[in-house]
Amino acid sequence: MIEVSNLYHSYNKDGKFAVKDVSFEVKEGEIFGFLGPSGAGKSTTQNILTGLLQLQQGNVIVAGYDVKAISNKMFNKIGMSFEQSNVYSKMSAKENLDFYRKLFDVKTREPEELLELVGLGDKANVRAGEFSKGMKHRLTFARSMINNPLLWFLDEPTTGLDPAIASEIKDIIKAENKKGVTVFLTTHNMYIADDLCDRVAFIVDAEIKLIDSPKNLKLQYGDKLVEIEYIKDGETLKETLSTIQEDDLKHLQDIIGKYEVQTMHTKEATLEEIFIKVTGRGLA
Amino acid sequence: MIKKIWLIFLRDLKVNKRDFIAVYIIAFPILFAVGINLLTPSINDTTVNLALIEGENPAQATYLKDFAKVEVFKDVLAVEQRVAKRDNIVGILPKGNDYYILQQGNEAEGVVDFAKALLTFYEQDVQIANTNAEIIELGRTVPPLKKLLVNIAILFTSVLGGMLIALNIVEEKVDRTIRAIHLSPISRKTFLLGKSLMGVLLPIYGTVVLVWITGFRGVNIFQMLVIVLVSTIISLLIGLIEGLNNDDVINATANIKILMLPMAAAIVAIELLADKWQKFFYWIPFYWAYKGNDVVLSQIATWQQIIGYSCIVLLLSSVVYIYLAPKIRKGLE
Ligand SMILES: Nc1ncnc2c1ncn2[C@@H]1O[C@H](COP(=O)(O)OP(=O)(O)OP(=O)(O)O)[C@@H](O)[C@H]1O
Ligand SMILES: [Mg+2]
Repeated sequence: MIEVSNLYHSYNKDGKFAVKDVSFEVKEGEIFGFLGPSGAGKSTTQNILTGLLQLQQGNVIVAGYDVKAISNKMFNKIGMSFEQSNVYSKMSAKENLDFYRKLFDVKTREPEELLELVGLGDKANVRAGEFSKGMKHRLTFARSMINNPLLWFLDEPTTGLDPAIASEIKDIIKAENKKGVTVFLTTHNMYIADDLCDRVAFIVDAEIKLIDSPKNLKLQYGDKLVEIEYIKDGETLKETLSTIQEDDLKHLQDIIGKYEVQTMHTKEATLEEIFIKVTGRGLA
Repeated sequence: MIKKIWLIFLRDLKVNKRDFIAVYIIAFPILFAVGINLLTPSINDTTVNLALIEGENPAQATYLKDFAKVEVFKDVLAVEQRVAKRDNIVGILPKGNDYYILQQGNEAEGVVDFAKALLTFYEQDVQIANTNAEIIELGRTVPPLKKLLVNIAILFTSVLGGMLIALNIVEEKVDRTIRAIHLSPISRKTFLLGKSLMGVLLPIYGTVVLVWITGFRGVNIFQMLVIVLVSTIISLLIGLIEGLNNDDVINATANIKILMLPMAAAIVAIELLADKWQKFFYWIPFYWAYKGNDVVLSQIATWQQIIGYSCIVLLLSSVVYIYLAPKIRKGLE
C-alpha cells in the first residue's frame, strides 16, 4: 500500500535533513506505527506521502500512485486525520462534512452516521467554532473517514482526548482496520502503538532505527530486562538494565558486587523502554 | 471541475452570509446606489420634458415624442404654469408661423439647447433614422456627477470583490482547512478558481445593481460587463495574494485598500487634469476601466472602444499576473 525507498527531505535544501535515507513498506491491511520523539521527522514523512510536501529525493508509491507526479485521483483513496484539528469554525459539524464529502468522486459516508460514531451525534448543527478542542479533533477524525479510504493516515489520533474517548477512537480504528483499511499511524504514544500496530518503525533524528512488530520486539527485549534498586552512598537508586547488552551486563555485575541491593526483578519491557533501549533516546 | 469550483464558491457565499463584514460588502452596491440616487437628481428628471398646447400641431407633437417626453396642456396659460414648476421642463409655443421656447430660467442649459435643436430638426424634417443627434444629446442629459459616482462605485465593487476573496482565504488559513482541501481530489488550480469566483461575481452583480437602481437602464450591459470583467483581474490577484500572506482580516483588507490610491489618482486625472498630464496615468488599469465605464454610461461607446480599453487593462493586468502568480502558488504550500 505504501512503498518508500531512500527518502530524503531538507526544508531549506541546505544539507540538513528532516528525513534521511528513510525506506519502509506498509502492506495492505496492516496498521503501521511511525514512532519517534518530537522533531524526529514523522510529520515530514507523512506530509511527503500525502503530497502536502513536494517530494525532493527518493521513491514513494502510495496506494498505487507515484508521488513524484501526484494524481488528484489518489485522494479518493486516502484519508487523513490531522494532529491539529482543522475544520471550518463558521460552519456546523454537519455542514463541514457535507461540504467535504462533495469534493470526492467516490461513494461517501453519511455525515450523521460518522458524527454518531465519534460521539458528536447531538452536536451536528452546532458550529465547530463553539466546539471544545477534543470535539474539533473528533470532527477532524470523522471527516478523514468520509470517502471510505483504503489507506488512512492518522497523526496523533488520540492526543489531547480524555481516556474514555481515546479508547473509543482506538476501537473505531480497530474496526475500520478489520474491514480492510490500511492504517499509517504517527504517534508519540507507545501504549496506543503497542495496542494497535501490527508493525512499528522507530524514527529518531530523521532516520529509521528499526522496524518490527511489537510482539517480536518484546520477545527480543522483553524478559531480558532487570529492574534493580540499590543503595549507593546512602541514597536509593533505581535502574533498568538489559541482560544481554554488554555494557548493561557489566554494570549490573558491578552493582551486585559493590552495593547493597534492595530489590531486583525481571520485567516485560514496555514499547517505550524498548524504544529507549534501541535508540538511546526518550520519547519526550 | 466546474462543479467543484462552484462548490467552493457556494461554501464561501454561505459563510459570508454569516459574517458582518462580508454581508456589508455584499450589500454595498445597493447602499451606494441608493445613496447616489439621494444625492443626485435621477436621469429621468433631466431627460428633456416639453410642454405643448394640446391639438395645436399634432404632427409636431408626434415628431417630438420620438426625442423627448412630451406633455400637452389646454392653453398657453396652462403651459406657463407647468413650466414655472421646479423641474426641467420647457414650453414650445406658437408665435405667428414660428415657435418660441418658453423657459423659466432654472432649466439646465443643455435642455434648452436641445429643445431649440429639436425645433430646428422638426422644421427641416430630420428623422431619427438619419441622425445621431438624439443619442448624443441624451448622453449629455446624464448629470455628470451621477455618472461619475456610478463609475467610481463600479470600480470600487471590483476592489471589494478582492477584499471578499482575501476574507475567505484568511478564513481557510486561520482554520487551517487548506490542508484538508489539498487532501481531497481538488487541484490547487480548481481551489484558486473557486476562491476567485466571488471576486468576479460580486462586481458583476454589483454593477448590474448599480446601473439598475441609479437608472442607467439604457446602457449596453454587455459592454459594461466586458469592462467590469477585465477590471476585476487586478483586484482578484491582489485579493488572493493578500489573503495568502495574512493571518488576519484587518491586515489583509488594509493592504487591499491601497488599491484605492491608483484608482483615485486615475479618476482625478481624467476628471480634472489637462491633456498633457494624462500620459502619466496610462499605467493604471483603473484609468482605462474608468474611461470605458464612462463611455458606456454615456451610451456613446462603440465596441471598438470597449475592446481597445479592455485590451489595455488586460495587458496591464497580465504584467501584475506574471509578477504575482509564482507568489500565489508559493503561498498555497
Ligand atoms: N516548515 C519547516 N521548515 C523548516 N524546518 C522544519 C519545518 N517543519 C519541520 N521542520 C524541521 O524538521 C524536523 C522534523 O520535523 P517534523 O515535524 O517532521 O517532526 P515530528 O516527528 O513530526 O515531530 P512532532 O512529534 O513534534 O510532531 C524538525 O527538526 C523540524 O524543526
Ligand atoms: Mg508531527
